Amino acid sequence: MNKVFTDGLSFALPLLIMAIGTLYSEKSGVTNLAVEGFQGVGAFFGALAATLMTPLTGAGSQAIIYLAILCAAAGGAVFSCIHGLLCIRFRANQVISGVVINILSVALTAFFTSAANSAISGSASNKFVLDVSARFSVPFLCEIPWIGGLFTAMYPFEIIIAVLAAVMWYLMNRTKFGMRLKACGENPQAVDAAGASVTRIRWAAVIISGALSGIGGICFAYSLLGNFSPSIYQGFGYLAIAAMIFGNWKIGPTTLACLFFGLAKSGGLQLCIAAQLPSKYTDLFLLLPYVLTLLLLIFFSKKNRPPKAAGEPWDKSKR
Amino acid sequence: MNDYIVEMRHITKRFPGIIANNDVSIGIRKGEVYALLGENGAGKSTLMSMLFGMYEPDGGEILVKGKPVAFHSSTDAAACGIGMVHQHFKLVEPFTIAENIVLGTEPEEKKLGILPWVNIRKANRQISELSRTYGLEVNPTDRITDVPVSVRQRVEILKMLYRSAEIMIFDEPTAVLTPQEIDFLLKIIDNLRNGGKTIILITHKIAEIKRIADRCAILRQGRLIDVCDVAETSVQELADLMVGRQVQFTQEKTAPDFREPVLEVQHLTVKNEHRFDVVKDVSFSIRGGEIFAIAGVSGNGQGEIADAVAGLAKAASGRVLLNGKDITGLSVRDRCLAGLSYIPEDRQETGVIPDMTLQENLALREYYKPPFSRKGILHGEAFRSYADKLIGTYDIRCAQGPDTVLRSMSGGNQQKAIIGREIEEQSALIIFVQPTRGLDIGAIENIHRQILRERERGAAILLISLELEEIMALADTIGVLYRGELLKTEAAEKMSTQEVGRYMMGVRKA
Repeated sequence: MNKVFTDGLSFALPLLIMAIGTLYSEKSGVTNLAVEGFQGVGAFFGALAATLMTPLTGAGSQAIIYLAILCAAAGGAVFSCIHGLLCIRFRANQVISGVVINILSVALTAFFTSAANSAISGSASNKFVLDVSARFSVPFLCEIPWIGGLFTAMYPFEIIIAVLAAVMWYLMNRTKFGMRLKACGENPQAVDAAGASVTRIRWAAVIISGALSGIGGICFAYSLLGNFSPSIYQGFGYLAIAAMIFGNWKIGPTTLACLFFGLAKSGGLQLCIAAQLPSKYTDLFLLLPYVLTLLLLIFFSKKNRPPKAAGEPWDKSKR
Repeated sequence: MNDYIVEMRHITKRFPGIIANNDVSIGIRKGEVYALLGENGAGKSTLMSMLFGMYEPDGGEILVKGKPVAFHSSTDAAACGIGMVHQHFKLVEPFTIAENIVLGTEPEEKKLGILPWVNIRKANRQISELSRTYGLEVNPTDRITDVPVSVRQRVEILKMLYRSAEIMIFDEPTAVLTPQEIDFLLKIIDNLRNGGKTIILITHKIAEIKRIADRCAILRQGRLIDVCDVAETSVQELADLMVGRQVQFTQEKTAPDFREPVLEVQHLTVKNEHRFDVVKDVSFSIRGGEIFAIAGVSGNGQGEIADAVAGLAKAASGRVLLNGKDITGLSVRDRCLAGLSYIPEDRQETGVIPDMTLQENLALREYYKPPFSRKGILHGEAFRSYADKLIGTYDIRCAQGPDTVLRSMSGGNQQKAIIGREIEEQSALIIFVQPTRGLDIGAIENIHRQILRERERGAAILLISLELEEIMALADTIGVLYRGELLKTEAAEKMSTQEVGRYMMGVRKA
């Protein structure tokens, strides 16, 4: 039981930070399907930094994860500029831009991983092997019955993400920037008339979404997968988008949706182990979050209210 | 030296295919209500958009408080104390009233000296005070989605006050309001003037100018025609100046020539989405050559009757007969083919496809028939020549001919296009819902003439209007609708305006 909570949370949090990333972009009026690509490219840069630094710090150093997270955020942010350029500068179709970026990122990271590996080690592997962070348990909290598992065997990044999520909530809901950002996604004309720059706010939002998605990506790579390879593209980005939609474009409910997905995933796996099913069924159980996504869509679609101007390029002259 | 607070000298502004303003010079004094009168497309809004920094003039100069200014954005204009209430409100619907007002100039404070945050409670208090000072009662914590249009307009006015604007531009502020709300707004404008604000009122409604404005500039086709003192100029003079010719306020109506009944509505009941009866057991019939007008205060079921006859809404019970044929269960297209034309209330939503071109919009009733479409292939030439013909016949003004995107045309010309398209079908029944809403005198005159011409042709006409004057001027028979019931049906000559007005209020015995 504890394991369900432990694994569930370590899956849910990277998902959450990616979902918040998309949420920022969409709330500003830029539809963002490119999270999948952002997280992959972010993870690539994080993994590359980790691989390059490991010889200097020596294997097993715990500091590398922090450096990797920073690099992943920077890499995701830089890569997201493509989406910004297409959607904001050139007013391209935002859905197509997102999908193309996802395809592009798979190809780009595969190529550069091989290239980097052959330059560093001489073998053109498509994988960066990464350490797994040491885990820790929060004293006292981990002994709480039932939910103690949430505070057991945590990765350091979980704390970082939790704090970051809180900061992002504050930025969105309590500050001038957040208020204008939300207004941009509803009625950019109003923001323009109020004397703020829609373009600048949307750029900021897209770059934030790239940075946060990158962090989500490296956390997956550094914990769940233990390496960076094309297997980073498993649809986590899309799952994050689904979580944001179930959360009705609000950070609080999105957090619940992510936890739900996390627990469904780990629960499915534990169920599979408990029932001692042959391994060929494991894959079937791992599908659980996706099946749930389909089911939940039926119930949530009606009540949801997406940002009104999301998907529409900002055109100052339109009446 | 003069005492002008705003001066615009020799302003010229060109758009592709059109000169919106041609050497216009106006001067506005501090503390007056200055009206800009002109037909749709005369260049009033463009002129004020330049004063508000949304466009830059191609020629001429703008002086505010005696100093030349060059605005590159509305922010620049706002910094000079200029505010504007746009015709289409610029509000964020899920936000509260206070959030909308402070957007762009949020009261930001530092929590614990470092954390920036927006103190919305403080804004709420300030806005409550401000709204009380000017008699603009609003509840700052209400969300825009939940408040009616008139309150949204107050929010726009409060936005200007919150930014302490001294010069306030109102672009067609009464177009969206009911008569009571208009009274209230004019009172507020009067308050603002007494409070020392300078008001610029863009409108095509002469009655409002007579009630509130001190001076009035008249624009026609981008040129300044005259500036007059409102108190010393008559309504007729203003109307003639605006249109550029003698305006007939009432149309000559020929003697009725009623024929066979065309439309028969029997015991029609329509429910809305909450399963509530919005039209209750309504029966009436319209003969060829007859204008049957439904009078009533807005929201008493008029739109639903029209939609049920046209097939856009489902009849819960009752029958609709067209030329003796039961059309109650027919699709919209089959009804059209049976001889029905519909000029809907909401032009942009139901009447046209705003982002398509004029020629495409004009062919909406015909595109699937030859010569527009042969064996499923569309023929552009047919669209173009048909559009050219209608543009000529119905005097539709459009900058780029048949290729003009409908959204870029003025409301009056959009309406002319719809009416042209529907009349051209030569239908037995034509439904007009609010055909002149938001239009200026010239366009109203034109449309009334079209309606009467169709009556002479022998069409049955169902006219639904909120303007009692329009109904009295056109109708042969009047039905007064109150809470979904047809309270009274009577020949028009047997009813006075006052009687119809009383029935509209629900008084059963006049």
